[in-house]
Amino acid sequence: MAEETKPPAPAVAPPKPALPAGPPPPKNPGFVTFTIDGREAVVKPGTNLIEAARAVGVDIPYYCYHKRLSIAANCRMCLVEMSNAPGGKLMPACQMTAAEGIAVRTDTAKVKDQQRATLEFLLLNHPVDCPICDQSGECKLQDYYMKYDTRASRLQSPKVEMRKRVPLGPLVVLDEERCILCTRCVRFMREVRKNPQLGVEARGNHSFIVAFPGHPLDDRYSGNVVDLCPVGALTSTDFRFRGRVWFLSSARSVCTGCARGCDVFLDYMRDTTYRYRPRENEAVNQEWMCDQGRLSYKPFNAKRVEQARVGRAPGRMATRAEAAAKAGRALGVHAGQGTLALLASPVASLEDLLVSLFVARDGLKLSDVYVGGRPDGWQDDFLKRADENPNRKGLELVARALGFSVKPAAELAAAVEAGSVKAVWAVGAELPDPRLAAILAKAEALVVQATNESELTAAATVLFPAAPTPESDGTFVNFEGRAQRFEMAYWPRFDAQPHWALAGEVGITLGLTARWPTARDVFEDLGRRVADDLPGYRWDSLPSISRRKSLVPLAAGTVDGRLPGYRERMPLDGSGNVVWSRLPSR
Amino acid sequence: MAKDIETQKAPPDALEASFPTKRMHLNLGPSHPAMHGTVRAVVDLDGEDIHSMKLDIGFLHRGFEKSCEGVTWTQVFPYTDRLNYVSSIMNNVGYALAVEKLCKIDVPDRAKYLRVLTSEMHRMCDHLTLVGAMGLELGAMTVLIYAMEARDIIWDRLTEICGARLTSNYARVGGVARDLPPGWGEKVLKTFSRVTELRDEIDKLLTRNRIVIDRCQGTGVISREDAINYGFTGPCLRATGEPYDVRKASPYLVYDRLEFDVPVGSRGDNFDRYLMRMEEMKQSDRIVRQCLEQMEPGEIALADYRYVLPPKPEVYGTIEGAMAHFKMIMEGIKVPAGEAYSFIEAANGELGFYVVSDGGGRPYKLGVRAPGWNMLMALPQMLEGQLLADLIPTFDTINMIGGEVEQ
Repeated sequence: MAEETKPPAPAVAPPKPALPAGPPPPKNPGFVTFTIDGREAVVKPGTNLIEAARAVGVDIPYYCYHKRLSIAANCRMCLVEMSNAPGGKLMPACQMTAAEGIAVRTDTAKVKDQQRATLEFLLLNHPVDCPICDQSGECKLQDYYMKYDTRASRLQSPKVEMRKRVPLGPLVVLDEERCILCTRCVRFMREVRKNPQLGVEARGNHSFIVAFPGHPLDDRYSGNVVDLCPVGALTSTDFRFRGRVWFLSSARSVCTGCARGCDVFLDYMRDTTYRYRPRENEAVNQEWMCDQGRLSYKPFNAKRVEQARVGRAPGRMATRAEAAAKAGRALGVHAGQGTLALLASPVASLEDLLVSLFVARDGLKLSDVYVGGRPDGWQDDFLKRADENPNRKGLELVARALGFSVKPAAELAAAVEAGSVKAVWAVGAELPDPRLAAILAKAEALVVQATNESELTAAATVLFPAAPTPESDGTFVNFEGRAQRFEMAYWPRFDAQPHWALAGEVGITLGLTARWPTARDVFEDLGRRVADDLPGYRWDSLPSISRRKSLVPLAAGTVDGRLPGYRERMPLDGSGNVVWSRLPSR
Repeated sequence: MAKDIETQKAPPDALEASFPTKRMHLNLGPSHPAMHGTVRAVVDLDGEDIHSMKLDIGFLHRGFEKSCEGVTWTQVFPYTDRLNYVSSIMNNVGYALAVEKLCKIDVPDRAKYLRVLTSEMHRMCDHLTLVGAMGLELGAMTVLIYAMEARDIIWDRLTEICGARLTSNYARVGGVARDLPPGWGEKVLKTFSRVTELRDEIDKLLTRNRIVIDRCQGTGVISREDAINYGFTGPCLRATGEPYDVRKASPYLVYDRLEFDVPVGSRGDNFDRYLMRMEEMKQSDRIVRQCLEQMEPGEIALADYRYVLPPKPEVYGTIEGAMAHFKMIMEGIKVPAGEAYSFIEAANGELGFYVVSDGGGRPYKLGVRAPGWNMLMALPQMLEGQLLADLIPTFDTINMIGGEVEQ
């Protein structure tokens, strides 16, 4: 009945009241214009204040915010003053988007007070762990404390104690006391991996990060949560307690774990690689990498071929020059006979392959290249490729450019088995099938250039020590045809040299005259042949970082914007052993 | 030949005749005992007269300024010890004041007094060294022994504060490293009574000594104008009659609260320069005594975690202290970007530090104005036409210190 009592709708709508005066038109149509600390910022609509401030050179501190994760706004470190905030409240800069004409201030007493208070709360129950914490030196708590707080502790009561060692999974250990509950790790697993293996349990002061009972953090990308953790709560079982970050230097490298070629920082001290950290590249890996790739640096440090050897194992140690002469003779007698084969590894760099194939063509009259390399592994739709060789595409490009036909290693094994191939030159000892080593060992002459000891190196009649990625400059071409440079982190260990230098030495014993002092010279000279396949690629695309005042502080424990240990790039023994052009054996 | 000499007869006015001389070059140093500080002087002699001379420095060069760019702001202090190594605390203080100027911080009163007190004690050491060495090189061995005894007992007192005789490393940005041990003041007074005895003894031995007066008065003269033009400072400038002393002209720390006189000479010769030192030692004695009287108990360094290491209980017991300590040790204190020049009256004159910061934990650039440099530069002019023997006291009284001149 209520409907009946309603007054009838007027036949004609009353005139609408005049709209209140709308906001003034934007100063820059299509963009939002506002000020941060008095500096005018022009950003796209929807840009959050942290990114907008960064664009005009204002630093807003934050812990929980991450540009590739959803906004949590729980750390309260990024609170700023905004002219349009209700009641003059401080607003989280990560969550607030820029609005036309507003004024944002990050430098007022109120904001500074809030930052100090936030830090005081975050540090209230933080254990005194810096001396034993792996994050120490790259810790946001330390950085922000010195920048925004520097006050003494006022805590009178004992700190809350929680669990110190919670193995979340095979690669990640949690220290609940250090955790500031920013939930970056939780959000990464949920949003990026779509595999929510982590969560927050309990409430308030009792909260802690947890993996579900019976379900360890075994995702294949779990290592990324260690990088994401702004404090020392999540540490990597691999790096844990192995080195202090302020002693490490970084080189810009490329992961050799698969054909994706994720950009990484290779952290090293002296001539040892300590870890990989993903390096940002929007086109390749954003800023992630898989756990398998993260651990793929291990062969750089262990079971290396240390010195040239003549004769099958145990053989006799030899100088590189002697080995090169032996190799030249052993291969040279088969040149042009059809009884010689080149086995090239797609783990070697583009420069390595350019020289090797060049020598094989001009010095040994070969026109076939058999492709070795590691066997295929798993693949997913995120980063990891089944092909676990970083440079297969590069090998194909070089082979095509130099007129080689590419054949699988299995065919070579068959030919050796049949006795039609009597001499094999292997540039890189990786084999797609471990059984092939025993067959190749039957060759009369087996010249192997290898970074690591293996069944094939044991069978080699001449063995050269080759330098892996951190010990040389070079280029990898990933499966998409994207060429990426990696830089030398430290000088080659032992008597090792890059494949291209070793191949060049062999070439000289075969009567070739071409010499290249550096990898750059190799690319300048031979790289022209593949330049068309690598559009836009410049070898010098990685500017030198060995200088103070480099634009981007790279190292983990960067002190004062300069790389710790950058002097270690100089030869340790002063022997001059590293200047390729001055090598006695060349 | 022998026959020629025999047959040669001396002319009647032989004594008045000019002695035929020939020009020769004499290398004095760098390892000559009189060329302390390892300097080589190439003296162009006309007989015994110095026609001209050149100085060859650099034997003590160790790249001080460049080395400082490679270490944190705090780690520079031990390097400054090696500038004027006889009075290292003054170098520490000069550098600390420059960095503090850049940081715009003021140190606690007690730290100021401690800096002045130790500086003045080191000034006495510096002057004692000069006077002793000068005495030795003019043949008065005893003076050196007395001076060394006095210097050693002062050093003993300073060792009790900073743990080292020579390389004191005492000042810090924001204060000083350690407070005085209990009962130290009384010990200093006792020490000073012995120092006074020794100083008076030296005074008696030298100041009215005919040989010293003959060798020092009127030798190594430089005029007031020339001294100013050469950039002389300190006792060497005041010996010419110019009453410039940084402690009076631009008082730093607590010098404006202390009573002391600045001796001024008139002739600008070696003797005046020697007298300046003797008098300044007495004045330093006065200053130290006043400091001990005026000083009150208190903090010896700022309680500011940006610049000064937290106390150890804080470092071991609280995360805030641990972080501050860690960051300051590993990365250095963050000195605001900018540049500053700060200068103090060191034993030999104005010791200036020019520091440039890029806001990081290490000096971007650091320069030293060493007082000895200007005096050394004037040495050839001061000695032109003088006897070779005059070079020795002149080199002594300008008191060039290799450590600071050759940075």
